[in-house]
Amino acid sequence: MLKVENVTKYYGDFLAVDNLSFTVKPGEIFGLLGVNGAGKTTTFRMIMGLLDPTKGKITLDGKKIDYDITDKIGFLTEERSLLTKMTVKEQCLFYGTLKGMNKKEILKRLDELLERFEIPEYKDKKIKELSKGNQQKVQFITAILNDPKLLILDEPFSGLDPFNIELFKNEIVEMSNRGSMIIFSSHRMEHVELFCKKLVVMLKGKSVLDGYLSDIKEQYRKKNILIKGDVKKKELEQIDGVVEVIEKADEFEVKIEEQKVASKVFEVISNHKKITKFVVEEPSLNEIFVAKVGENYDK
Amino acid sequence: MTSKLNYLIGVSLKRKIKTKWFVIANIILGIIIAGIINIDSIIMLFGGDFNNKVPLYVIDETGVSYELFESQIKETDINLAGKEEGSYEIKKYDKSLEEAKKEIEEDNKIIVILLQEDKQNTLKATILSDSFLDTLDTQVLTSAINTVKVALALSNSSISAEEIESIYRNATIERVYLDETKKSEDENMEIIVTTVFPIVILPFFMLTIFLVQMIGAEVNDEKTTRGMEIIISNVSPKTHFFAKVIAGNLFVLFQGLLLVLFVLLGFFIRQMIGGNSIVNGLGSEVSKIIANLGETGIASKFIYIIPLSLLLMILTFVAYSLLAGILASMTTNTEDFQQLQTPIIIISLIGYYLAMMAGVFEGATFIKILGFVPLISAILAPSLLVLGQFGVIEFMIAIMLVIITNWLLIKYGLRIYKVGILNYSSSGLWKKMFKALKTKE
Repeated sequence: MLKVENVTKYYGDFLAVDNLSFTVKPGEIFGLLGVNGAGKTTTFRMIMGLLDPTKGKITLDGKKIDYDITDKIGFLTEERSLLTKMTVKEQCLFYGTLKGMNKKEILKRLDELLERFEIPEYKDKKIKELSKGNQQKVQFITAILNDPKLLILDEPFSGLDPFNIELFKNEIVEMSNRGSMIIFSSHRMEHVELFCKKLVVMLKGKSVLDGYLSDIKEQYRKKNILIKGDVKKKELEQIDGVVEVIEKADEFEVKIEEQKVASKVFEVISNHKKITKFVVEEPSLNEIFVAKVGENYDK
Repeated sequence: MTSKLNYLIGVSLKRKIKTKWFVIANIILGIIIAGIINIDSIIMLFGGDFNNKVPLYVIDETGVSYELFESQIKETDINLAGKEEGSYEIKKYDKSLEEAKKEIEEDNKIIVILLQEDKQNTLKATILSDSFLDTLDTQVLTSAINTVKVALALSNSSISAEEIESIYRNATIERVYLDETKKSEDENMEIIVTTVFPIVILPFFMLTIFLVQMIGAEVNDEKTTRGMEIIISNVSPKTHFFAKVIAGNLFVLFQGLLLVLFVLLGFFIRQMIGGNSIVNGLGSEVSKIIANLGETGIASKFIYIIPLSLLLMILTFVAYSLLAGILASMTTNTEDFQQLQTPIIIISLIGYYLAMMAGVFEGATFIKILGFVPLISAILAPSLLVLGQFGVIEFMIAIMLVIITNWLLIKYGLRIYKVGILNYSSSGLWKKMFKALKTKE
């Protein structure tokens, strides 16, 4: 289990991470979210042992993270961390050897992963000759080459088309099923919603929201109602407790203050004869993120 | 740690050596070096007029002066111009002066000497040429004519043949040096050092640039691609730093060895073309310097000069590579490093020029002090040792100072390196580095 306990990091006088705590259990996919400069990269660097926390401690299976443990960690950085003059094979041999793997092991695993990511023909190509998406695939391969116990993914879907996102998604889920701990960071909340059961939202180094996604959504009082029928926008707006009404192509999205407002809305529209849809939905993670970050931004 | 260190060294070397550009650059270097060594043969291969001797036509109206003049010209040519093989093609000219003038019109290199009897001065000479004469030619001709004149005057006097021979015999000159450490053979040492040394130390200067550039480019490549984050999460900055330094030094030693091989190849080709003597045909000046090297006694000093100089150079390569690694870690891109490497190259250049000036400013305290300064000493101290301005003890002090510098660079530089390699911003850079210096391991 990865345990981040009351971790604080200062760069000189600048507070980058403030008393952050969370745990990731084997098989869990954990979301570490935040706007730019929230302290995500610093947190990743501290987990990787690249930086020492000013206060607090980080342990993996009860041990402090050092060069004896990093062989079991995979790291995919937000920027392309590939030496572009190398071929795919050379790059994987380089990073794999640094992870303590032997040549035979690396080449076997590389062939397997290149097949799985549908790029076996690029094995001897120089990385700089590959497209952005294929470079991202190679970077992902280098991160999971050692079948890590802990995998850190910083914006893993950058530069990928929906088809390749699906490939990555399947691999991540499979690794989680095999018991790997995965920390996932993305600005795309729909991606986070796809896998993460647990998350932390960071702002200015602090955690502003944390816990299981289902609990967060449940605790978030505002809901959305989707209505399709002969109802008028103005009519909906006049209901007490309705925050906003968004008119979409063939339906209305009604944002309400809390669950009990839904019955008032239902009462109003039940007078209409042509209502074909009435669905009360949980808010999206994106909405919660924007609301939470917005509300804490100026504090 | 050792296996990862060895692996990183291997990867660094492979990235530098196993490239087509390394092979191409060395093929070009090999051709250029072998070509320079055989440049005279190459020039001659393309044809042209290679007879540099000046045709000298002598019209001897005295009837007794020609033989004496001819021998005097040869002797003066050796004494004044130092040319054993002679600079002139002397010919007794039997035709008239008018015809000689026509010959000059046809070949403007010809010089005509008209020797006539003169009642007052015994000998009168006229020198005819198309244009101005070279100062050295004028000196040689004038000296020979005057000697002939004195000889003729003496032969007309009542002085005996033995006395005349005694007059012409060279005076016995004995050189005495009050400084007992000085020998007459060492008198030409300055000229040898200023001529030979720049050629010998040029590869060191060249290799220093290679070394600094290699380390800077590699560290920056890994930093700018953020590959550094993955590398440093698996090996310590210390291992990474040492891997770069060791790989850089192994590379320059290999490149240095290749340069030596190219030189040997050049001389081998020279021997194949020119016969037994490697020196043969290099030009009288170069031949004389190489011949003097044997006479001066430097050769016997080589037994300790070469190993000591090599040791100092290798230690200095280490110092340059440590410095390059530290500076590269502080920069955020290759362009910044290129700017930062300029002072390093200038330091090396200062050493290069001072080494050449050491022979001219013999005993200069300033140059002697700089001979101890690490980074510069690798070039300057060996030249001072050859000149006798540095003894073995002083040289050993210079070596010790480089060792101390390397130790300090490792101890404090590593602290900067650890912070620098993961720093991507140039704002507050010096503050960060000074803070890193204060941080203990």
